[in-house]
Amino acid sequence: MTKVLAGYRVLEVAQFTFVPSCGGLLADWGADVIKIEHPVRGDAQRGFVQWSGKPVDPDHNPMLEHSNRGKRSIGLDLATADGQALFYEMAASADVFLTNMLPGDRQKLKIDVEHLRKANPNIIYARGSAYGDKGPDRDRGGFDVTAFWSHGAIGWSLTPDRFEVPLMMSVGGMGDSTSGANLAGGITGALLHRERTGEALEVDVSLISSAWWSSGQGTAMAALNGNEFRNTMPTPGGSEFMPLMGFFVTADKRALALFLMQPDLHCRSLYEHLGLPELAEDERYNSFAAMRANGLALSDLVAQAVGAQPLAFWKERLKSFTGQWAAVQNSVELANDPQALANDMMIEVETAAADAAPLKLVRGPVQFNHQPTRTTRGPQAFEHTETVLMELGLDWERIESLKAAGTIA
Amino acid sequence: MKPGTRLKSAACDTEVMVIRCGDGSIECGGAPMGEAKPAEAAPLSADFSGGTLMGKRYVDADGAYELLCVKPGKGSLAVNGVVLSTKDAKPLPASD
Repeated sequence: MTKVLAGYRVLEVAQFTFVPSCGGLLADWGADVIKIEHPVRGDAQRGFVQWSGKPVDPDHNPMLEHSNRGKRSIGLDLATADGQALFYEMAASADVFLTNMLPGDRQKLKIDVEHLRKANPNIIYARGSAYGDKGPDRDRGGFDVTAFWSHGAIGWSLTPDRFEVPLMMSVGGMGDSTSGANLAGGITGALLHRERTGEALEVDVSLISSAWWSSGQGTAMAALNGNEFRNTMPTPGGSEFMPLMGFFVTADKRALALFLMQPDLHCRSLYEHLGLPELAEDERYNSFAAMRANGLALSDLVAQAVGAQPLAFWKERLKSFTGQWAAVQNSVELANDPQALANDMMIEVETAAADAAPLKLVRGPVQFNHQPTRTTRGPQAFEHTETVLMELGLDWERIESLKAAGTIA
Repeated sequence: MKPGTRLKSAACDTEVMVIRCGDGSIECGGAPMGEAKPAEAAPLSADFSGGTLMGKRYVDADGAYELLCVKPGKGSLAVNGVVLSTKDAKPLPASD
């Protein structure tokens, strides 16, 4: 893929998934991303010992690789004066500083905007936070389950109204990766702005700004009419008023999504594909107004037809249907989805794990010129300390003395 | 030996960058490592066949030696016959 950010250097001081996933995307796009990790603990994400109840191999870990592919890692203690001095030296030749540190820690470590701009007035300062860099919750940390899913109302809105608590957000860093992509977009805009005007901006994306944006239509509706949006218990079939919209159960107990927002346009094609051509001539079912008056009866007819065949049959059969439909897939099907693979959604990286097959990772959501993304595994903790510092011009004596002092690892 | 020197295993594919070292013998797979590969490969000793992992740092107990693996192989790294261990980050345990 065209490395649209080739030649830009990014310094990342960030942990877990949200902000590191932004760095991973910038690396996909060609930026030289240097991940600065605590010289003893490393990125806290390295401590994940299990996912969804199953153990995780730290050397073959999709959770870590998702966010950190294509980067280099150095171990550097930002809590020491020598570490800070070295960090400013690195910042002098960097284009972007990327962090999820809380405001108090940024100040304490002297990596706040004021200090960074003294080291490099042209550096773009990009923050990923839980609740935004202004307001009473500015100092609070958060994960996507708290800030994006809970505070951001998405979990509550999606959970059927008979439950007292929201569903768990369990597809793996959904709020984080979404927010990371948003931040990568913001940084790219800031780089473009700097190219045109010379002005280096501060960029903020938060987990709640991403939740607000993701649910923007619904949130704007709630602001307009004051009505809380809640989901109801899912039931098969269409509703009374929109009988051709919903999830229908197939003969093999899978689900088929039909979504005819403009039923007048597509109902005839649907009836024909379902083997119900007579409905096209039936005045109860062949117009938007009529089918709303006979919704449940129509939904039942469709449900019966769909339920007579397995999902595989419908996937073939509906290929020529003019309206919108989908097979409801699970995560394993998605990981092997021919359509996704045709669009290069999976990238492979060799990890450090001996004899393991290459790890498959999901590429970022953007593709340039139809070209697949090429990248490499994420770094081991501190793998590139000496390489990066020698590139920066440090001699071995200084590297050794910083190492002896525990400033670098 | 100068830091930054690249050493190759005589018994497997392993290559390391020397970050820190003393005067002892740096070995891999039971045979001394060198800047060039020997014409004839040394046998891989069963006692030193744990393998090396790309990107890992290997250290001795006294902190006198540190080797960065730049090419993995089947041998274990050792100094004077004592196997080195990996130096890993020590994050807090976490779960999802």
